[in-house]
Amino acid sequence: MSEPAAAFTAEVYQNQYLPAGGDVVDAVITVTATGTGLHTGGAPTAAEVIMIDCSGSMANPPTKLAEAKKACATAIDTLRDGVAFAIIAGRHDAQMVFPPDSTLAPATPANKEAAKAAVQRLLAAGGTAIGEWLGLANRVFSGHPAEVKHAIMLTDGRNQHETPAQLAATLSNCEGRFICDSRGVGADWVANELRSVASTLLGTADGLEDPSELPAAFQAMTQAAMGKAIAEASLRVWSPAGATVRFVKQAFPQVEDLTGRRTDLSARVGEYPTGAWGAESRDYHISIQVPVGTVGEEVLAARVSLVSGDSVLAQSLVLATWTDDTALSTKINQRVAHYTGQAELASAIQEGLAARDAGDVEKATSKLGRAVQLAEESGHTDTAKLLGRVVEVIDAPTGTIRLKPKVAGVDAELANVRSVKTIRVKKSEEG
Amino acid sequence: MGPQSEPLAAESTGAPAAHGTSCPSCGADVGESDRFCEACRYDLVAGVATVAPARPGPRWLTSTGAPNACGACGGTAFGPEGYCDTCGQRRPAGRDHSELDLGAVAAVSDIGHRHRHNEDAVAIGLLPGALAAVVCDGVSSSTRPDTASYPAVDAAAEALLAALSGGDGPEPALEAAARAAQAAAALAGGAGPGGNPPSCTFVAGVVTADSVSVGWVGDSRAYWLPDRDAEPAVLTTDDSLAGRLAATGVPVAEVPQGATAGALVRWLGADAQDTAPHLVTIRPTGPGRLLVCSDGLFRYRPLPTELAAATPAGTPIDTARGLVALALNAGGQDNVTVAVLPYPAIERSEERPG
Repeated sequence: MSEPAAAFTAEVYQNQYLPAGGDVVDAVITVTATGTGLHTGGAPTAAEVIMIDCSGSMANPPTKLAEAKKACATAIDTLRDGVAFAIIAGRHDAQMVFPPDSTLAPATPANKEAAKAAVQRLLAAGGTAIGEWLGLANRVFSGHPAEVKHAIMLTDGRNQHETPAQLAATLSNCEGRFICDSRGVGADWVANELRSVASTLLGTADGLEDPSELPAAFQAMTQAAMGKAIAEASLRVWSPAGATVRFVKQAFPQVEDLTGRRTDLSARVGEYPTGAWGAESRDYHISIQVPVGTVGEEVLAARVSLVSGDSVLAQSLVLATWTDDTALSTKINQRVAHYTGQAELASAIQEGLAARDAGDVEKATSKLGRAVQLAEESGHTDTAKLLGRVVEVIDAPTGTIRLKPKVAGVDAELANVRSVKTIRVKKSEEG
Repeated sequence: MGPQSEPLAAESTGAPAAHGTSCPSCGADVGESDRFCEACRYDLVAGVATVAPARPGPRWLTSTGAPNACGACGGTAFGPEGYCDTCGQRRPAGRDHSELDLGAVAAVSDIGHRHRHNEDAVAIGLLPGALAAVVCDGVSSSTRPDTASYPAVDAAAEALLAALSGGDGPEPALEAAARAAQAAAALAGGAGPGGNPPSCTFVAGVVTADSVSVGWVGDSRAYWLPDRDAEPAVLTTDDSLAGRLAATGVPVAEVPQGATAGALVRWLGADAQDTAPHLVTIRPTGPGRLLVCSDGLFRYRPLPTELAAATPAGTPIDTARGLVALALNAGGQDNVTVAVLPYPAIERSEERPG
């Protein structure tokens, strides 16, 4: 493993003071990788696979396939020289577009031209089986020595030519093998499918309302992949004897519950996958239940570090001190409160939309009303706008809403797929 | 410059250190928990030889020294930040029980029965013609008080002995000691001392052939206990509302009690404003003993006559042990620490018990 090509810092935000008898310690840890040294050599080797939906519906309207081809070409042009890459056409099965055999080709000028030409010849015909596409990508990546393995998956429709169980099984095979960003285009993609791909494969999910947004989106994803300075990092959490890790969540830039993805290193230490890191900043919300201490006692409730291989990139300490000074113990840490709200916002949207799909108007109204209220409180205007396409807001501060009788399917899917996107607390609001 | 001085080994009943009972460098007998070999100055903990100081010079002992085992779970592994690898408990700066004995001067410190850490720190020193002791009591309401009290005691002891052996009189030396203690206590607050940084009290005493001097900040005390023909006296005035009232002549019975009256008005630490020590020097006509102690002791015998009556005769270490036992038997509500300095100091007081 080469030396880390980025400088990492970790900052902890918490109220370390617990009342007598208190046993839950919450903290937000902000991990930031700065660009220092990001491009001064030592950057990890990379491989890129693009899966482009070529199902029949991509021809309707024809701009979808045309823009997808353009996007693919842009992504190819964005590849660093020498990066290994492949293009896969996705239908009810998966086929190699470039190179012709199930392998990766180096991004030489000639190969890039050949790949773009092959993409241009693609035709829309057939169905959708995302698991087949991911399975082929996994075979293409396997055995390749690249450190960062990144894929882009574009679909315009529901995963209808395989069962959810088949997709889940494939995702489980791919987990930890490569990173995948998933994107939906058009009106028929399913947010839950995109989110489950991105979530399992540590990427991002989004929907694009207009096919013309595709080239820019592909370029951004490829650039981000090329900018990764650390191929694979994990959040390592030490907790004391008798403590329980209640949860570990990525809280920014999107909510991702990592609790169930723990790998135990020892009785005290577990690791949670975080994927690859470029110049970026992420927040993690960790909650630990510790054995109750006596007033005046100070314990280390958790040592949280970002590690890559054997090197600790950044570390911070989560402390707990018991006090009978209620002015100290009742103080709410703004970041912890903010992300608690953002996580609730994400689930309120998801649960509200699911209830709406199931015809449970009462639950949908209650959950989506709460979502509107939380979006308003936290100043999450993007989410507020998306919710406004699904519900009629009567009074945002109280979360009073009515479900809109007619909603374009894609509006609900957009609200769902973006439900996990969070915003940071404004500096000025921190006490 | 004063002669170099390094703390000698402190006896302790804490868990034994990794080394055995003979010095790996010179083979001399050493205590299992000694930090330095007294014969050759070998650092028994770090396993390295230290520079030998010029002798005779000042010698001093301190109760500073992180325990080898976690007080909460008994674990012996600690992370680099000083938390127990097993249960997360912060490793304190000093041991639960320390006995410091330089023969002519001695001190004992104990955690007591109610506290989780011993936040009382004590150091004693010996030099030709003078005995010295410093006690710093961590302010329990402050953050990590032991991180102020132990470094403060060590800095004060070193400064005090350097000043005395450099020819300063007891009072200027006590002022230097308080300055050093304040600097060390303030450093404990770190780069961003929050609203409640580590804090401690300070009391130090110097006994020479013809004087007894004390300096203090806070509510730790020094008592003068004459052997005969004179009244015992408390030389210090607590830096608290109650203490100040008492000092103006209000009868003890009428001095208000309770948290507000007893609250410290002066202390050492990053947020301390007024840290110059009060100074008192007396020139007793007959022999006696100076006790430098924390409130964990005198809470049980606050009046000088009571304390004098309860103070056993014997060697300084026996007296210190007896007084600490008294406080523990009376309840041990707080950390308890006392240093015993006989007056007058003998001009050449180099002999020590084996």
